[in-house]
Amino acid sequence: MRLSIAREKLQEGLSAVASAVPGKTTLPVLGNLLLETTERGLKLSATDLDVAVSTEVAADVETAGALTLPARKITEIARELPAPSVKISSSDQRAVIECGRSKFKLLGMAKDEFPAFPAVAYDRNLRVKSGDLQRLISHTVFAVSTEESRPILNGVLWEIHPSQLLMVATNGHRLARMQVGGQYGSDDVSVIIPPRALEQVRRLFPADEELEIGMSENHISFRSPLTTVISRVIEGPYPNYEQVIPLDNDKTAVIDRAALTSALRRMAIVASDQTHRVRLSFNAALVKFSVQTPDVGEAQDELPVHFSGDPLEIGFNGNYLLEILRYMPTDDVRLTLKGPERAATISPEGWDGGADYLCLLMPLRLVD
Amino acid sequence: MTRIAVLSSEVADQIAAGEVVERPASAVKELVENALDAGASSIDIVVEDGGRTLIRVSDNGAGMDPEDARLALSRHATSKIRSITDLVGVGSFGFRGEALPAICSVSRLQLLTAAEDGTAVLVRAEGGHVVGEESAARQRGTTVTVGQLFYNTPARRKFLRSARAEWRAIAETLVTVALVRRDLHLTATHDGRKALALAPSRSLRERIAAIWGNEYAQRFVDVDAVLGPIRVRGLVERPADVGSASRRIALLINGRPVRDTGCVRAAESAYRTTLAPGLRPSLFLEVTLPGDAVDVNVHPAKAEVRFHDRWSVERAIEFAVRRALGSPSAAAAFGGIRRAIDWPLQSDVSIDRPPLPSDLAAGPLFQCVVPGTASATAPTTDDPAALPSLRQLRRTYIVYESDDGVILIDQHSAHERILYERFAREIESGSATSQRLLLPETVHLSADESEAMEAAADPLRRLGFEIEAFGGSSVIVHAVPYPHRRFDALRCLRETLASLAGDRVPTAHARHERLLATVACKAAIKAGDLLSEAEMTTLVRGLASTSLPAHDVHGRSTIVRLGWDELDRRFGRR
Repeated sequence: MRLSIAREKLQEGLSAVASAVPGKTTLPVLGNLLLETTERGLKLSATDLDVAVSTEVAADVETAGALTLPARKITEIARELPAPSVKISSSDQRAVIECGRSKFKLLGMAKDEFPAFPAVAYDRNLRVKSGDLQRLISHTVFAVSTEESRPILNGVLWEIHPSQLLMVATNGHRLARMQVGGQYGSDDVSVIIPPRALEQVRRLFPADEELEIGMSENHISFRSPLTTVISRVIEGPYPNYEQVIPLDNDKTAVIDRAALTSALRRMAIVASDQTHRVRLSFNAALVKFSVQTPDVGEAQDELPVHFSGDPLEIGFNGNYLLEILRYMPTDDVRLTLKGPERAATISPEGWDGGADYLCLLMPLRLVD
Repeated sequence: MTRIAVLSSEVADQIAAGEVVERPASAVKELVENALDAGASSIDIVVEDGGRTLIRVSDNGAGMDPEDARLALSRHATSKIRSITDLVGVGSFGFRGEALPAICSVSRLQLLTAAEDGTAVLVRAEGGHVVGEESAARQRGTTVTVGQLFYNTPARRKFLRSARAEWRAIAETLVTVALVRRDLHLTATHDGRKALALAPSRSLRERIAAIWGNEYAQRFVDVDAVLGPIRVRGLVERPADVGSASRRIALLINGRPVRDTGCVRAAESAYRTTLAPGLRPSLFLEVTLPGDAVDVNVHPAKAEVRFHDRWSVERAIEFAVRRALGSPSAAAAFGGIRRAIDWPLQSDVSIDRPPLPSDLAAGPLFQCVVPGTASATAPTTDDPAALPSLRQLRRTYIVYESDDGVILIDQHSAHERILYERFAREIESGSATSQRLLLPETVHLSADESEAMEAAADPLRRLGFEIEAFGGSSVIVHAVPYPHRRFDALRCLRETLASLAGDRVPTAHARHERLLATVACKAAIKAGDLLSEAEMTTLVRGLASTSLPAHDVHGRSTIVRLGWDELDRRFGRR
């Protein structure tokens, strides 16, 4: 392998794939990046066996070839290079990197040791706008579960319907769902994707790019002309989330999001640092907040509210509520409620963002 | 022919003597107690052949005049009480007037006593009869020489064990006396060899150090607490050390050594959740309570007492021991040197003990005493700035530097302890929080697990689990506790039921505790969980505010301290 590449291009490629390198691994080659020459230049790849990322950057290739190099070292070297033009050559498992008067010899591993990317087919002709995907991801991924006992909930459900895209995430205590309209192939597709893969998708593709979606039995791929993210999908049926979205919540409150956020933050100071329990008491014109924590103390607050329905008292994990509010795109939010043991919904009030966004939150109650 | 005859007083005396004097050790005990009742500050004991041929107890007490000396050998003659009303709140060891005559009736006895320096009287008796009396010279005090014990009761003599075994029993008796009367100068000689030489000690720990060595004395935690009219003081073994040396128990009620299983059990139950099953701690406890709350006239050897309100005594003992175990000094130490744990959050209050004089008498078996333990300071949670930086090792241990060493905390054990106490508190006060589940989860249980679940239904509900039977052995979980962010409720429930399945715990109380301990264990963060700095801070603070920070609910250590002195020693710096 022999090529020359602009320093910026090399850095760009490395920063795209380096975050897919696992921090700790039992398989040493996963700590390396795969460098391959292509017709267009240099292709860099990294994987932790669950998520794989590859990207191509422009380079002048003299002789084709491939090898793997330690991700950390090559990234650090690229960052410190003194001149704009870099020459990379390799023989056996050794790479020579030359730039200005600097010269590095870096020991790598053979290309064959690097795991092959899983094959995915792009035969469904599915194309999705990166911007839509970014919006879905950033509004839902926060709600996934980290519990190991229900691996399904460790992923985000992505449904592709001919006329809309939908993403749902939940940890069993709260749920976030967003859908956007559009034209997306002719099939109904549903996959459960690990949040780490979605994080790469959100980060790597510019908002205006069209992504091609490829599938295999166990994998999903997001592909732009230069960059590809392939992820294992989580198997199994996702819980029937539609069934738990309440339709009969008969009490509605519309509240200023910023005011609600700051009231909850004040309550959080005194709330239990373990359960974060905050009690909200709604009546026609006011919502009263209160926390009581043994060993700490008490706090009360109140806010004006537009509330319709019978007065209601309900407890929530204040942190969950604050987190949901952070992702609400409007100045006012709409809460709907049914009873102190039933799910509450939170949605943006008067939003015309071309998408439908809804969060659910289950109450936290005191055992009597 | 009449078959029944009234026994001669001689035979009756010998039978009665059997109640008080069953072996040489009990004779020694009675004689030493008499010496103490006479106000002696120094007692010397000489024993030969396990007490069979000779027991001599000399004291520097009040002594007796010749008339009293003769009277002292007759039954129910005592200087200690005058009427039956004096029995209430009796403060002396002896009072029944049985000891000396009883010993006298089964031995050849010489009583040499002087009420004033110089003029003494020597009374000789054999088998209970005075056979001679002469004047002699002695410093103020009394010497009782018991020769040929049981010479006239062959049955009793036949049942004496080897000289060594009898001496062991005597030594045990003397140790008990030494623990009770720490101001006493006590020496003992067996077959010409000096076996015990104790100078007056200032504290129980000092005395224990003088008897069994300083290292042994350092394995104890101080107990001192008052509950109502009852004060409990003494030393109890650090849970981490229990089981590594033979068990010793001494229980003093109003200064009187007694055996009382109820009190011992109360002290042991204070250890609950800090000891592995089967281990039982060494205890040295002194209980002080009003004289009228306890009846000591129950047993001829006065080894048992009767409490008017046993429950409050046991409760006071349990409270005192538990409080002592909750102090940071109860934590395990690395290596052999034990000192208090220095909490990062503590105030600067410390109690220094005065160093001991170095010229203490030391026999061959008994080491010299070195200054005692360090300060025991209570953890407080008021100064967050005082928390040093914490580091996680192997995603398992939290380590930090303190003034006198490196402190290591097991994150799982620590969290287990915190959760255990929190769950217990929440169940008691009904303040547990329950997170409703958006997606109720069905859990399939084995027959054993369903049974365990039914048995624990109420406490589980009070912890925040809302569980509904769902035909067969399945249940639906609608709500779960929310003790911390990483809590995996369903896994906790499954693992708890699995480990409780088939459990046969007899009492409701023990079952309840076992459930809490299991839930706490399953709910706690595990070894291998990466913790943020903030989480570690919360954990260490939480641990400091628990009542038994040094031990998890299975009796393992949560805290290990590697002292600077130990570290210095290992690097050859000292």
